Amino acid sequence: MKRRGTGVGCMFYGIGNTGLPNPAAAFVEVLPDTSVNVIVGAADIGQGSSTMAAAVAAETLGLAIENIHVTWADTQVAPEGGATSASRQTFITGNAVKNACTQAMGELRRTAAEKLEVPEEDLVFRNREIYSSKDETKRMTYPELMGAMSYRGRLAVGAGYYNPKTTYLNPADMSGVPYEVYSYATCILEVEVDTDTGEVTLLKCVSAHDVGTPINPKMVEGQIEGGTAMGTGFVISEKIDVDPKTLAIKNPTLSKYIIGTNMDMPEIYPIAVSSEGEAGPFGAKGLGEPALIPSIPATMAAIGNALGVTFTKTPIFPADIVKAWKDKQAAENQG
Amino acid sequence: MNKITVHCTVNHKPVSVEIEPNKRLLDMLRVNLGLTSVKEGCSEGECGACTVIYNGEPVTSCCILAGQAEGADIITLEGVSVDGKPDVVQQAFIESGAIQCGFCIPGMILTAEALLMKNPHPTMEQIKEAMSGNLCRCTGYKKIEEAVALAASRM
Ligand code: FES
Ligand code: FES
Repeated sequence: MKRRGTGVGCMFYGIGNTGLPNPAAAFVEVLPDTSVNVIVGAADIGQGSSTMAAAVAAETLGLAIENIHVTWADTQVAPEGGATSASRQTFITGNAVKNACTQAMGELRRTAAEKLEVPEEDLVFRNREIYSSKDETKRMTYPELMGAMSYRGRLAVGAGYYNPKTTYLNPADMSGVPYEVYSYATCILEVEVDTDTGEVTLLKCVSAHDVGTPINPKMVEGQIEGGTAMGTGFVISEKIDVDPKTLAIKNPTLSKYIIGTNMDMPEIYPIAVSSEGEAGPFGAKGLGEPALIPSIPATMAAIGNALGVTFTKTPIFPADIVKAWKDKQAAENQG
Repeated sequence: MNKITVHCTVNHKPVSVEIEPNKRLLDMLRVNLGLTSVKEGCSEGECGACTVIYNGEPVTSCCILAGQAEGADIITLEGVSVDGKPDVVQQAFIESGAIQCGFCIPGMILTAEALLMKNPHPTMEQIKEAMSGNLCRCTGYKKIEEAVALAASRM
C-alpha cells in the first residue's frame, strides 16, 4: 500500500566555532587601474566563499564585482582564514574583507576629500563613483580618484580581520556566549511510502532559510538544493558500514554507498529569507550546514507521518519501514 | 609491458598514442594527452565524472580500455568550447548557477551535449533521464537540469 506523509524540520544553528576565538583575515589593495586584489585564507571548495569575498569588497569599495580578483587559500600569500567549517566563512572572512577594504579606503577618502573639497565623512563610494552625500554635484570617477592617488604617491592598501564576539563557556554549567549570530530554517517535506517494499519516494520539499542578507542569491538556492539532497539521502539511503572487528569501511564504493541521483530528488523549492541588522558583512550569515540540517528531521517525520509511527534513528532503510509497518499492524490487531 | 599504438580522433584532431595495453581510455586522455577535464571519481562506472562523448554517445571512460578506442571519435570538455569561449551548454551552466565544486561538471556538460546533439529540444523528463547516470554531491541537480533546459531553449 502506498501512503503519503508530511514532515516539518526546524532548526537554529550557531555560526562559527562554539565558544572559541576563530578569527579570519584579509588583505586588500586597490590598484591604479581600479582593479582590486583581495587575498583571503578561506578555502573555496565550491560553496562560493571567493565570490562572496569579491561581492563584499565590491560593495564596500563602491566598485563592480568584475573589478575584484580574489586569491584564496594559498598559505604562502594568504593570511589566516581558519577552517572552512562551522558555516563561518561568509560571516567571518566576509567581515575581514570589509574591514580590510575600510582600511584601504582611508587614503581613498583623504584624497577624494581633498580633490572635491568636502569633509571625508560626507563621501559616498558607489557604482565606480565618489560623491558628497550633501552635494551630489561634487563627484569624481574611480579612475580620476586613482589618478589623484598616483599623483600624490598614495597607495590604497588594507589588512583586516574579524573575530566573532563570543566568550569561552564556563565548564561548570556551559554558560557564556557560544556564537555571535545564528541562522534559522524550516523545511517541509512530503513523501510517499510503499508499505510492502519500504521504498520512499521524495515528492516535494520547501526549505526556507534565514541567511541574513543573501549575498549571492543563486548560490544560496544552490546550497539549499544540495543540502536537501544530502539530508534526505542521510535518512533514506546513506550509511557508512564499518566492520566492527577491523574498523574497515565495508561499502567504500558508490554502488554500495548510495547517494541520490537526479531521479531520486524531490521537487525542491528553496526560499532565502532576508533578515536585517545582524553582525555579518551587510548582515549576511552562514548557510553551509543549515542547508542540510532541517531536511533530516523533516524526512524522518514525513516517513513517520505516512506510517503513523515515530522513528528515532537514521538511516531509515526499506527493511526498517516494512518492519515498523508490520509491528504497528500486529500491535493494532492485538489491541 | 609492450606498448600498443592507438589511433583515434580526439577533440576533432587525429592522434596516435603509444600506451600500455592495460591502461584505460581515462588514463590515455588524462595522462598521455593531458586532458585533465576528464575526472576520475569512482573508477567503476558509477558516477559519470569520467564521461566523454565516444562516437556520439556519452560513455564512462574508466570502463573502456585505451586499445578499444582504435578508430573512435572522442570529445572531451576541452573540445566543446568555441574559440576558447564557453559554448551554449557551458554558458547555460554558468548562468544557471549550476556549478558548485565543479568535479561532476565536465561529465554533466558532455552528457548534456550528447543529448542535445541527438535531441535538440528534449522535454524535462528526457533531460532528467539522460542526466541520471551522472552523480553530483553538491547541487541537488535542480540547477543542472535547468541549465540543460536553458541550453536547449537556445539551440
Ligand atoms: S570514474 Fe568513471 S564512472 Fe566514476
Ligand atoms: S558540483 Fe560538486 S559534485 Fe557536482
